[in-house]
Amino acid sequence: MLKRRRLIFSLLAIAPVIAIFGYVRIFPIGEILRLSLHKWDILSKNKPFIGLANFQELLGDRLFQEALLNTSIIAFGVLLITVPLAMILAALIFYRTRSRFAGFYETTIFIPHVVSLVPAAMAWKWIFDARLGPLNALLSVFGIEPQAWLFDPTLSLISVIILCSWQALGYAVLIYLVGFKNLSKSLYEAAKLDGASGFQSFWHLSIPLLKPITLYVGVATLVSAFNVYAQVYVLASDAQGAPGRQVRVIVLDMLENTFRNYRVGYAASEAVVLLVIVLILTFIQFSLLREKGARK
Amino acid sequence: MASLEIQNVHKSFGSTKIIRDISLSVPDGAFVVLVGPSGCGKSTLLRMIAGLEDISGGTISIGERVINEVEPKHRDIAMVFQNYALYPHMTVAENMAFSLRLARRPRSEVNERVENAARILGLSDYLDRYPKQLSGGQRQRVAMGRAIVRDPQVFLFDEPLSNLDAKLRVQMRAELMELHDRLKTTMIYVTHDQVEAMTMADIIVVMRDGVVEQIGDPLTLYDRPNNVFVASFIGSPAMNMVKGTVKGQAVQTAGGTDWPVSAAAARVAAGREVIFGFRPEHLVLTEPGQGIEAKIRLFEPTGSETFIAAMVGDQPIGVLLRQRLHARVGDTIWLGLDPAQAHIFDVQTNQRIVAT
Repeated sequence: MLKRRRLIFSLLAIAPVIAIFGYVRIFPIGEILRLSLHKWDILSKNKPFIGLANFQELLGDRLFQEALLNTSIIAFGVLLITVPLAMILAALIFYRTRSRFAGFYETTIFIPHVVSLVPAAMAWKWIFDARLGPLNALLSVFGIEPQAWLFDPTLSLISVIILCSWQALGYAVLIYLVGFKNLSKSLYEAAKLDGASGFQSFWHLSIPLLKPITLYVGVATLVSAFNVYAQVYVLASDAQGAPGRQVRVIVLDMLENTFRNYRVGYAASEAVVLLVIVLILTFIQFSLLREKGARK
Repeated sequence: MASLEIQNVHKSFGSTKIIRDISLSVPDGAFVVLVGPSGCGKSTLLRMIAGLEDISGGTISIGERVINEVEPKHRDIAMVFQNYALYPHMTVAENMAFSLRLARRPRSEVNERVENAARILGLSDYLDRYPKQLSGGQRQRVAMGRAIVRDPQVFLFDEPLSNLDAKLRVQMRAELMELHDRLKTTMIYVTHDQVEAMTMADIIVVMRDGVVEQIGDPLTLYDRPNNVFVASFIGSPAMNMVKGTVKGQAVQTAGGTDWPVSAAAARVAAGREVIFGFRPEHLVLTEPGQGIEAKIRLFEPTGSETFIAAMVGDQPIGVLLRQRLHARVGDTIWLGLDPAQAHIFDVQTNQRIVAT
């Protein structure tokens, strides 16, 4: 009897939280899934069911495919830069500066993560500026021709990747630092006695032992990079100055379809594709990085 | 195999002195146990030998070679850690082979050495397992295997059995001793457990507060402790210590009890205030009315022996009897002591007063 009452009390106690979570987290996902199967122009009362027609149309949509390709390149580019770099930086901070300057370095690297996206992107826009930017000025010191960073299709993608990696790095380093702090010191002492150099310890111990951290950082980086929008919107204008056009990404495409073309159902189907891609990639990462010993 | 020589070694962390002027000579092939309470510096000393801690002063040599500035990997030592420090992502075989792989030894040699070590330690069936799939005792053996494959000149053990349960500890203790007999390699073993020290060591080094209190073989330490600390640290249950003054052939306590001392001791320490020490197992029961009267405070029969906590006057003492005793708390017993088995220490210096 008491057990039952406690159970009811527990359920009632967490009900408000569950309700809010459900309303802001679960309900929108369900709603997106539902909308993706309907046609809706945002104003009309009618939302006729059209089955998988939206998805069929996506297959032939050049703009969507371009956006998907760009977003994927950015996401994987950010992943490939952020994860190894964050691990190396965290290792350097942890092992080289353990005492006095560690806090300083941690803060310095973390700051980009807390700076608002738009001002940060504006700053980078200046850095990448073809005529006034310090990047080209620096390159000219080495005798390299100035580059049109934000207008060349390839270079503008690279610029976005650099900006997004710069922003993602701080958080990743912070998580890796926690990982390093949790590694047993005696393992490294044992390795030292076994004859391992610093680099060998990093290679044979840190990298495999930090797999769970790498998994988390990888998934978090990839998911947030697939949702890239503001950085591109500010950084990559086309020749006429229209924001975001140079590097078209999925979120931008979705926004345009919703609020410019009034095709909410179609945009929802894009969101579903994005969701599926992220889920598949997360699943792949989990299976690649699962701990060996845990498998038995 | 090699001898190990520690000369006037110091270690400080900032202004805190952890090791103060320790000198120790370990003969080739000896099993030396460093024992002492927590914080006495024994693990630090071991880590200095391993090269995991800098040496603030003095020298440590293995064989003829001073190793103060030698990298840990070039010292030709292997160490077994308290928490085993097994690489969790490697199998047993990979754990044991790691040092050889780093040294780029040929694969056939690596396999042979790993298999050999696994056979010695009974791990042949577990080579493909991961550490988390092993029991505590098996992990301990893998840690030893990792040390064995390197065929080092000196083995270092840092409280390797402290994470095991009591039964397994006894078993592993025996296995370690067998291993020492088999390999005949110099071993230095750190523990806070004096029973481990007594049962395993050729030489025991008792440490306290960064200083060596006494070095000797187990029975010498038991029979002739240099000072009050060693006397109370070695032996279980601990030695009884009673303050008193030497008067005639006895040490008289404040409570008026006369504890018998040998003629030689009485001569040397006549009239002095001393600490009188005697082991619980050296007390015997006597006829009522003879010897020293004691009141039973606690009675613990374990079958093979009986431990009694008793009061002699206002002085608590321990008594360990081999015989069965039918008594109850509050009963009075009479105790005798062979004066030859008693120890006297100076009250001021706590050092042993040697009866010549």
